[in-house]
Amino acid sequence: MLADLITLDGQPFAVAKTFLKQPSRGDAGLTASPDQLDTIADDLRRCAGGDKNALRRIFDSEAPQLVAVALRIVRRRELAEDVVQEAFVQIWTKAHQYSPERGSARGWIFAIARNRALNMLRDGKREDLVPEERLEILRDSDQMAQIMASWHRLDRNGRLHDCLAALEEVRRKSILMAYVGGYSHGEIAGKLDIPLGTAKSWIRRGLTTLRECMA
Amino acid sequence: MSIAEKTVYEIADDYVLGLLDADEFLQVEARIGRDRHLSAAVEASREQFLPLDLSVEPVAVPDGLWARIAQTLPAQTITEQAAASAAIPAGSSTATAAVSTEANAPAPAAASDVRAGGNLARPVANDNSTARWKIGAMLASAACLVLAAGLGFTLMRQPEPMVVAVLLNGAGEPQAIVEDFGNDTASIRLLSDFTVPNDKVMQVWTLPTRDMGPMSLGLLQQAQSATLAGSKLPAPHDAQLYEITLEQTGGSPTGRPTGPILVKGFAKVPR
Repeated sequence: MLADLITLDGQPFAVAKTFLKQPSRGDAGLTASPDQLDTIADDLRRCAGGDKNALRRIFDSEAPQLVAVALRIVRRRELAEDVVQEAFVQIWTKAHQYSPERGSARGWIFAIARNRALNMLRDGKREDLVPEERLEILRDSDQMAQIMASWHRLDRNGRLHDCLAALEEVRRKSILMAYVGGYSHGEIAGKLDIPLGTAKSWIRRGLTTLRECMA
Repeated sequence: MSIAEKTVYEIADDYVLGLLDADEFLQVEARIGRDRHLSAAVEASREQFLPLDLSVEPVAVPDGLWARIAQTLPAQTITEQAAASAAIPAGSSTATAAVSTEANAPAPAAASDVRAGGNLARPVANDNSTARWKIGAMLASAACLVLAAGLGFTLMRQPEPMVVAVLLNGAGEPQAIVEDFGNDTASIRLLSDFTVPNDKVMQVWTLPTRDMGPMSLGLLQQAQSATLAGSKLPAPHDAQLYEITLEQTGGSPTGRPTGPILVKGFAKVPR
């Protein structure tokens, strides 16, 4: 039985997945109703007024996904949890700055967490990994798999899925590596074994095509 | 391509994707507040890519994470208007935020802590008037803990656990706590009743290193909480795996777990 677990190092979250069933938001993950979104915006307003319960509600509904998003970027479970901790303290202190004119409340919350994760990454913490020794480290190949899976998990009928599908594969991959995995231009160039200038122009053109497709 | 040569849409995408260097990032952050075009482009880009985040498979969030956050939240500077909106009863919440016009007042924080402080939400009859008492009591308890820890260390050499693991069952419910002291003793506290057949016994295991494989910490003879001693193992580390299996009387014959896993969990270093 324990032997099973030992072989799970390639899938570091098997335990969590098997043992802690998370509420599913549906395959596309886009099933949040307008009511829910309003709830987050309302809770942000309450946070600004000092209501910690409101922050707790946001935590309860969003943290499982925020940790997962951070994990794809920082690749280490405890770092991802640190990211989400920092993000929630920021959500709390910046709650008064949020207004519905500034886009969706969820987008605002996720942006804060993403920026925390990217900061941590740029600080170089991802580099001090000790691969192989820790169960919860996401390996390179796993991370790439997750990055590509992010596209496959999108709602098939959704616009973003279609517009990404319309891109040349290497451009799609570069964009996903940047957004989902938090890779820099240089890292993308290295991973794809192409010159830096080429990586930059692929990404720039890919983003332009994507934006036009989405418009 | 420098920022100056890019369109606001390109800047917005690069900002949202995290492709700007640190300097550019700060420049853009500063500009967003005063440039409506740029901030609109950032919102559009954010919403465009958000489905990639919302469709991620959620992961289990450890119990302690909220407590860590709640501990570090600064008090909000409350304006009357914000305080009024905060006082709107919210959902199933049992605690009502206290209204105060005093900046950085501790009372609202303490009142809403009722739910935040632990996983058990306890209904409170009159939290506002007792908030200050609670803070006092918490401070006093904290002081006692510090004193006790200090005394323990200097006088009794009472060890602190090096790691603590909460063991979960298949449904993700906490069922036991392991405190590993790293000095051949580990304390196992059961949090629920386990039914163990007459010819079986609960055995506690850990995985110090992959090379060593699973090692037994000992048996829980009566299916009761116990302190197990005598297994010489390397010092426990963060994220070390602990689990309890059901083995035949006398323990696993092979020295490795053979029976079904009852509960398991990963250790954390207390901090």
